[in-house]
Amino acid sequence: MKNRVVGERVARIGIRDKVTGHARYAADLEIKNALVLKVFRSPVAHGRVKKVMTEKAAALEGVAGVFTAADIPGENLYGIINRDQTVLASEKVRFVGDPVALVAAETEEIAEAALKAIEAEITPLPALFDPADAMAPDAPAIHEKGNILFTRKVARGDIEKGFADSDLIIEETYETRMLEHAYLEPEAGVAYRDETGCVVLLVTTQNPHADHAQLVPILNVAPDRLRVIQTETGGGFGGKLDISVQPFLALAAYLLKRPVRMVYSREESFMASAKRHPLKIRMKTGASREGKLLAMESEITADTGAYGSYGIAVATRSAVHATGPYNVPNVSVISRAVYTNNNWCGAMRGFGVPQIAIAHESQMDKLAQRLGLDPITFRLKNAFENGSVTPTGQRLEASVGIRETLKKIRPYYQTFRKEIEANPSRRYDGVRHGVGVASMWYGIGNTGHPNPSSAQMEVDRDGVVTLYTGAADIGQGSDTVLVQIAAETLGLPYERIRLVRADTTLTTDAGATSASRQTYISGRAVQEAALEIKRILTEKAAGLLKVPANMVACEDGVFFPQFREFQKIPFEEVARAGLKKGEKIRGEGVFNPETTSLDPETGQGTPYSTYAYASQVSLVAVDEVTGQVTVKRTVSAHDVGKAVNPANVEGQIFSGVAMGIGMGLFEQFYPNKTKSFDTYLIPTAMDMPEITPIIIEVPEPTGPFGAKGVGEPALIPTAPAILNAVHDATGRWVHQIPADLETIRELISEQEGG
Amino acid sequence: MKNGVLGEETLTISMMVNGESVVRDVPVNRTLLSVLREDLGLIGAREGCGVGECGACTVIMNGKTVNACMVLAPKADGATITTIEGLSDGEHLHPLQEAFIEEGAVQCGFCTPGMILSAKALLDENPSPTRLEIREGISGNLCRCTGYQQIVDAIELVVNRTEEAKA
Repeated sequence: MKNRVVGERVARIGIRDKVTGHARYAADLEIKNALVLKVFRSPVAHGRVKKVMTEKAAALEGVAGVFTAADIPGENLYGIINRDQTVLASEKVRFVGDPVALVAAETEEIAEAALKAIEAEITPLPALFDPADAMAPDAPAIHEKGNILFTRKVARGDIEKGFADSDLIIEETYETRMLEHAYLEPEAGVAYRDETGCVVLLVTTQNPHADHAQLVPILNVAPDRLRVIQTETGGGFGGKLDISVQPFLALAAYLLKRPVRMVYSREESFMASAKRHPLKIRMKTGASREGKLLAMESEITADTGAYGSYGIAVATRSAVHATGPYNVPNVSVISRAVYTNNNWCGAMRGFGVPQIAIAHESQMDKLAQRLGLDPITFRLKNAFENGSVTPTGQRLEASVGIRETLKKIRPYYQTFRKEIEANPSRRYDGVRHGVGVASMWYGIGNTGHPNPSSAQMEVDRDGVVTLYTGAADIGQGSDTVLVQIAAETLGLPYERIRLVRADTTLTTDAGATSASRQTYISGRAVQEAALEIKRILTEKAAGLLKVPANMVACEDGVFFPQFREFQKIPFEEVARAGLKKGEKIRGEGVFNPETTSLDPETGQGTPYSTYAYASQVSLVAVDEVTGQVTVKRTVSAHDVGKAVNPANVEGQIFSGVAMGIGMGLFEQFYPNKTKSFDTYLIPTAMDMPEITPIIIEVPEPTGPFGAKGVGEPALIPTAPAILNAVHDATGRWVHQIPADLETIRELISEQEGG
Repeated sequence: MKNGVLGEETLTISMMVNGESVVRDVPVNRTLLSVLREDLGLIGAREGCGVGECGACTVIMNGKTVNACMVLAPKADGATITTIEGLSDGEHLHPLQEAFIEEGAVQCGFCTPGMILSAKALLDENPSPTRLEIREGISGNLCRCTGYQQIVDAIELVVNRTEEAKA
């Protein structure tokens, strides 16, 4: 039977409110008599907190409360993977911006005045801003357990033999920079106590259930005394996985028993939120004369800044993905996340994979050039296929679309090449042009950890179907996709499903909106819930139609016996017949993709149950005088398993290319210096090329309708394709991003062979 | 001028907002954005940066787009202002709003009202822009979600429809 909803470009849920301006984000919530919250933050990067004097601030008229670590009822500790971060600094501050005291006041102006009245006695300690310094044996400890947060090793085959057998070895060091998510909506939320005393928190977030789990021990309340509801969320990209305003709002509402609101300014958002880990990657890759990859060795150092956040995930993901989507029999990777006194780094679209892809894709082009192979042929010689074994020893059984992505971009690559080579100097309007290719693979879901999702569906007397999901739609479109999956499974029109989402009281845990996992994992949970309802109602309909259940179908909200389509019963009538007799018409779905934990010494195991693949080609122009790189065209082919909503998938691809252009060409966050979009440049419409998205569907058997994920994959190949194109244009390899004006001018002015 | 509650000066301003006359006493240091959002409940203008760099608070003032966070309220005295709420009557959407829905030009939606208003101001001035001119026209509005392509497609769709209707 043909899909009617899945695979269609249905309009997004909530889009009408977004285009009319009626959508309410957290900062738009009206809440009477709410106190304004502000945070006093550390002015020093590393120091011992001696004394925080809040008396003057507390005495100001209109100040309802000033809180320090001593006021926290429960544990003053949180962190999504490893708990190492304080809500309000008790003993130490570890970066400029570490929260020290919290003010609640009647107005914004009074809260500001109160902040100015707070005095903190902080004894500065030696601060470390480079992971190399932090790893030195005599380095001062930023955290008691030492400065190395985590080490991940991946070892497979015989690395020494691999290099001994190689005819060609390339070794290089690559560096990436600290980046800011720059979601357009700054962190915001409101909180109050409801009539039962329960603290209700409405907040912009990527994971209300994890927020709840982190806040309960801080407040030291029973879990049902706190409710977290996700508001309309203006982008996240990983930056709204960690809690930000949440503990302040919960704490103040709980302690003061008054409604509170908190909205970060852009400057505070930049200062206080997680960043993308800058990575230093040494990579050595060996290949045979025939163009087969034989060995890859890498040492990766990630600066996780003051706190761990998702540092462990970044260290692991970058290690696990370090070969790229290629067969490499001998692999040795060591990847570390290291504390410094820089801004803390956490999750950002791709968890280290966009960084490592710059290394493995530059290596691929360097090898291809030395072997005299074109970049696509060389990649095809080595790309994974069904039956390939990954560096963690996982045999890939299905949905390995990397080869198709390369084949699909090949004609574009050839056309672009022909176009620019029409002129031997490759100069057009005095500017040199080049073409670059890059590929990627990306494991969907959390790495080597169970990461289940759950969903429920129920049908009421009027045949209204309600889908309950804990999944937070942060703009990427999970609401729409999950409803599409539910509607398709039940044979109902898309509009017939009512959605209740991301509320810790009304929905169960769907896990984070991260790791490109919601379509695959929550989508499958929703499918399972819908299948249960379908089974119940189909049996019911079979009874009413007096035919065997296996002959009954439901389409467009009508049950009918196949081959006797004139005999019809509306969906709601079937539901009513069951409900009248007190029968249960509910469905529950749970899905936890199969993963195993990774061996601590060798990294062997099954980190993910499925992977997305992509290849991209970019045509760029490099102005040797100004150093400006302009991306003229981009073609991006993605194996997504199944595009549940092709418009959403394309939207992710365009989005990822934009973020990749920013990452590759101009974005760089300087701790304690970058405060606004004036210096943190993100791409505008003028920086973007016309993009051709290509959707490839190699179905994943465990995914809903074969779907995997695309959110992060969309970004990953972009910067490496651009860097390879810059080399094609100029003959110079770029080993660090961003390839900004200065970097390019410097590269070009270097002597040939430099 | 007179003194407000906290001692700052206030000024009576009158504006036409979405076709309705509005008269308000406002402190002289208030921004147009805060008056629109807090006093008039027009929340469609979003605050993304507060310093005129992101365009999320774009409104049309006397036919030109402005960042409402950078306009002091007294400067808006006598002005005619269109916010996103003024584009549709609740039932019928503006062609740009329709096109944004059709092309899937919205993800998180935070930049969307500002983006649509910049597009409107562009089309009011130049009804048949090229794709490059469309890109220029919205280059003051940052979007981190869409990569802008479906936004450009949506605006182009309106341009094409307008031209077809004329033909």
